[in-house]
Amino acid sequence: MRIGAIIGLASALSGLLTAAEPLKLPYIYTKWKQFTVADGLPNDHIFAVKADGPRVWIGTEDGLAMLDKRTGKIKSWGEKEGLPWKVITAIDVDKKTGDVWLGLFGGGLARFSGGRFDHWHQLNSGLVNDVVYGVAVQDEYIWAATTAGASRFNTVTGEWAIFTEKNSPMEEIWNYNVAVGNGKVYLAVWGSGMLEYDLATGRWKDYLDPDGEMEIDLYRDDGIVHVIVTSASPADDVVWISTYFGACRYDGRHWRGYYNQDSGLASDFINNAKGRSADEAWFATDKGASAVTDFKTNTWVTYTRDTKGQGGKAVVMRDRDVLETVELPVAIPHNFIINYDIDGSDVWVATAKGLGWGIGEGYYPGLKQRPKTLAKTMTKGAVR
Amino acid sequence: MNRIPLCAAAASLLAVSWAELQAAPKKPVYVGVRVCAGCHSAASIGSQYGKWLHSKHSAAYAVLAKPEGLEMAKLSGLRTLPQDSAICLGCHATAWHSEEWEKDDTFHIEDGVQCEGCHGPGSEYASLNVMKDRQAAMKAGLRMPDQDFCINCHIEKGSHVAVSKQPPLDVKKGWELLLHPLPANPIPGPMSGQTPVDAKARGPKYAGVMVCGKCHRGLALGNQWSVWRMSAHAGAWAVLGTAKGKELAAARGIADPQGSAECLKCHATTQSGARLDSYSLDEGVGCEACHGAGSDYMADAIMRDERSAMAAGMQTPSRETCMRCHQALGESFDFDEAMKKIAHPTKPAPTARDPRYKTPVRMALRPGGREIYVTCEAADGVIVVDPQARMKVAEIPVGGNPTGVTFAPDGRRAFVTNRLDDTVSVIDTEARKVVTTLKAGNEPHGALVDRAGKLLYVLNTSSNDISVFDIQALKRIKNLSAGNGPWSLAMSPDSQRILATNMKAKFAPLRQPFESEVTMIATDRATVEDRIAVPDANLMMGVAWHPSGRFALATLNRTKSTVPMTRLLQGWTITNGLAVIWRDGGVDEVLLDEPDMGFSDATDIACTPDGRYALVASSGTDRIAVVDVEKLLSVIRRLPPYERQHVLPNHLGYPTDFIVKHIPTGKNPRAILIMPDNRRAFVANTLDDTLGVIDLAKMEMTGSVDLGGPKVITKQRWGEQLFHNAFVTFHKQYSCNSCHPDGHVDGMTYDIEADGIGIEPVDNRTLRGILDTAPFKWEGTNPSLSRQCGARLAVFFTRLAPFTPEQLAAVDYYVTTIPRPPNRFRPLGAALTPAQRRGKEMFDRATTNDGRTIPLLGRCVTCHFPPYYTDRKRHDVGTKMSFDRTGNFDVPHLNNIYDSAPYLHNGMAATLEEIWTVYNPDDRHGVTNDMTKDQLNDLVEFLKTL
Repeated sequence: MRIGAIIGLASALSGLLTAAEPLKLPYIYTKWKQFTVADGLPNDHIFAVKADGPRVWIGTEDGLAMLDKRTGKIKSWGEKEGLPWKVITAIDVDKKTGDVWLGLFGGGLARFSGGRFDHWHQLNSGLVNDVVYGVAVQDEYIWAATTAGASRFNTVTGEWAIFTEKNSPMEEIWNYNVAVGNGKVYLAVWGSGMLEYDLATGRWKDYLDPDGEMEIDLYRDDGIVHVIVTSASPADDVVWISTYFGACRYDGRHWRGYYNQDSGLASDFINNAKGRSADEAWFATDKGASAVTDFKTNTWVTYTRDTKGQGGKAVVMRDRDVLETVELPVAIPHNFIINYDIDGSDVWVATAKGLGWGIGEGYYPGLKQRPKTLAKTMTKGAVR
Repeated sequence: MNRIPLCAAAASLLAVSWAELQAAPKKPVYVGVRVCAGCHSAASIGSQYGKWLHSKHSAAYAVLAKPEGLEMAKLSGLRTLPQDSAICLGCHATAWHSEEWEKDDTFHIEDGVQCEGCHGPGSEYASLNVMKDRQAAMKAGLRMPDQDFCINCHIEKGSHVAVSKQPPLDVKKGWELLLHPLPANPIPGPMSGQTPVDAKARGPKYAGVMVCGKCHRGLALGNQWSVWRMSAHAGAWAVLGTAKGKELAAARGIADPQGSAECLKCHATTQSGARLDSYSLDEGVGCEACHGAGSDYMADAIMRDERSAMAAGMQTPSRETCMRCHQALGESFDFDEAMKKIAHPTKPAPTARDPRYKTPVRMALRPGGREIYVTCEAADGVIVVDPQARMKVAEIPVGGNPTGVTFAPDGRRAFVTNRLDDTVSVIDTEARKVVTTLKAGNEPHGALVDRAGKLLYVLNTSSNDISVFDIQALKRIKNLSAGNGPWSLAMSPDSQRILATNMKAKFAPLRQPFESEVTMIATDRATVEDRIAVPDANLMMGVAWHPSGRFALATLNRTKSTVPMTRLLQGWTITNGLAVIWRDGGVDEVLLDEPDMGFSDATDIACTPDGRYALVASSGTDRIAVVDVEKLLSVIRRLPPYERQHVLPNHLGYPTDFIVKHIPTGKNPRAILIMPDNRRAFVANTLDDTLGVIDLAKMEMTGSVDLGGPKVITKQRWGEQLFHNAFVTFHKQYSCNSCHPDGHVDGMTYDIEADGIGIEPVDNRTLRGILDTAPFKWEGTNPSLSRQCGARLAVFFTRLAPFTPEQLAAVDYYVTTIPRPPNRFRPLGAALTPAQRRGKEMFDRATTNDGRTIPLLGRCVTCHFPPYYTDRKRHDVGTKMSFDRTGNFDVPHLNNIYDSAPYLHNGMAATLEEIWTVYNPDDRHGVTNDMTKDQLNDLVEFLKTL
């Protein structure tokens, strides 16, 4: 028997076997709530969201809000209430002290503690620049990703350190984001890829696109997909990276790139990434919320909002094959996704037109045979 | 490719790089005076080295060991020995501020003010090739100082004048004496008479006095090296080079006494080649001249045992040892008198020391009720008092300046905060011993253990945060952000909340209303839950919860700093009262002052267990107010909201409605403890060294507990008592302490009408270490403390007759001795961090980033010259505002500047950064606008080390 025939026979046999196995699918968030100014938010442009127990802190273009999950009530603070600057681009919470740190777009850094706002800016402190895109708490340090480098503030000694091209491998100094995890601090830098600061050694390492600054991926999975990096999110010894030209994952040895053309990623233009685990991450694209829910099988779920009404859909894809499409009566508030937070089983989605709360009832990681309640809505084989 | 051009290109590239490397200026380091002596000793070059050795400059370090030095240090508020103090060494030594890498092995700080102290660190210029060209030498770092440079150190200092009583230095005369010019045809040359090292020499070798001095220094060893250095023996070689010495030598036919064996056999330790490199002829008659060559006995292990040292060659000098030199020429010599002069016992006779008071500041009752722990600030100890027997039963040494004390719920451990050391002493209460010490933040003050016995909260007054410790693991787990100067804390009866007062008000822009914060901590998460604003309040110190848990009471001042001090209405400049802090975070304020009598400096408060009364201590008027709580609440409740908010806090008429009694106390009551049986209370009379005992049924003082302090009242103690008492002000409204708590700042700006009402409000300045930084006042118009605290104080502040001359002398004496805390960012001798090091370069820099020369007055170091970092002159730094009558202000000193925000003459700069980012647009306060942000950050890091 010729080789070709053997392969064909094997393929047919495997197809039969596959068809006989039950399909394992990812969890889908079907229960959504939306919050806009109608619900008490100060503004619908949601730039940052951070959950801290029952409180969800929300950074908008016009003030800070806090949603109490227990009561559903929203409290907000503007400049009249002492907020030093109304545009909030980043939020992190110090779990030990409960202090809320705010990155202010043009206003520097603020701390909200016990109802008091403290304000650091480039004139009254060692903060390098007032345009702050990202903030992260690292023990007693606060890192700020700014447009002119990264600042690190020691809250105990009051010392400020600045990281720019002078003392780090930062070819460009426009920092888009900062995150802490895996014993490292990650900076996402426009035009300078990802920078990794090892907390144990105090040393920097940069990750640049091995393909140079070409807009093509010459060799697949050879490194970071692009140097215009918008965020780097560590989770479980890996780091998930978003760029304006695709996404990728790095486990310390292997890279895996993702593009719209060969994965469930809704768009290559990605504002943010949030890693949940080594196998799951959420990407904030300009065309919907895309989550790789199982790294090993490249299974994705993308949530979009229909143009009319509150509903939308969730599309499950593996590579580029659509496995199912689930209609959602209430979906994410808008398709331009700006940020996320993962809050236990829930997910918070910051969009250009409101905040979405994906309630993760029955959430499970990875894949499993789907519970019957969702079986009716499965459609197989449709290609997007 | 043609290889030859490629190699040539590579070679030229390397050559260029090497040349650049060679040309790049190296950072000069200090090499020590003996390197200079290598060329500047010979008569042919002017014998500069010998002249220096004979001068007072060379003994400048040693003289710090004199008893006068200790007194001067005390008057500068220094707690360390002068030879360990950056302030003293700043003028009495060279390179005191440098790091170890900036000093070669040949440099010794013991050489006092040596060549490089004036001429700059010499590593780059101290070679013949460079020095023969003056311009080249100056380019390599050689400085040629002028008389103004001398003034930086020789300017009259109050501490020195007070002790040495010498007239001010005549700089011109001093300059003449100091001159050490080169002759017309200078020929460099080393010391004559120095024999080369004989490598083949056997037996013990001479090591040199500096080797001995490594160990034989400091008070613990009787300052032996310094005693020697101040003796004539140390100058024995140098004196040979003086005119008199040469005259005497010439009479004996000796042309070069410093090179003559005949002279050197008595004027030097040895001329032998059996010496180590560390020995030098110029030490004169050093230790080994009497005790024998030291190479075999100098090891520490040997020297610790006298017999071993003797066996290794150490000699005990005899009469003969001295006589063979001192009677060599037939002169008379009183051996016994001479021995007294050079005596250098290892354990010197104890000198009279100031009495050490106790100064009790806080109390806590040990669970079980049988012991009261009293922290005694001046005694560095905790006194244990039996409240039943009313007597002191023990004293437990702890750290420096103990302040707060709290117990674990089981009473087996006590935690004491030590403000000087930044530590918490953990005491085993059964053993009455410190078992471990925890590191806290800056100036830990109040402390409290939660009821579960899990967490210890420590308020760090200077770093404005709260250290939270796990007391099982004895480990700090986090810091919470507090207000400005956290002071005391109290737990609610239901254990759910802790309130912490903050001594200073929050920063407010110039002439804007201010408020203080009371920090509320939720104990379930040990996080800050709320920050209660108390308007127009400052100096919030004591706090206590009412047993009902419905509210807490906190003491406060209401300082009217936004209006001129001429306004006597409604209690004048500073009124004193209470804040009623409701459970929901609402606040009411009431006064404790009455129309004709202030209740100055309310420092502590305690509620009786039945909730009926609150006792409030007025440390400025030596009494306790007994507040009827129900009557107080009744006054508050009956007022309509507007009056409650706007009238009540300033109304002097209401206190008589709820203060039922005043109980006179001892001097300066600062703490109150009410016993659980509601029968007695104790009050710490801080400046009496006693505890007063109050019968709560009668509300009377019925006894006292003597804590065992000295009974004599020294001038300093008296001054301290006067400082803290409001007797000197109109209606006893406030004391010196009210504006200068802890001898420091209250963070406020005042409009003192000496310059006109509404004109030139000024930032309050610290009193710590001020004696040597005259003149006083921001305009620099008060030349002395006695002028500042005397007539001026009476006219513009107290509005009464001034202190009597005796009182003034005592107050001034006390003020000068107010201790300075150590600098937390750089202990003496510690290395600089990289940021601090870069910042020092910015501080010292003479050129901008693009290479332009910065004029002298544009350099930080010119006006802020070490060690006080003030030239004590007035300068215009471009900060004059429209309501200031002048822009020339006295240069403030920068010691511990990190601790005295806000900044500039009117306190308008909230942070150090703002001095330059906001208030120096024209580079008049130093040339700084070319600095990058990271350079400014580095500069600030360095400033924090001063």
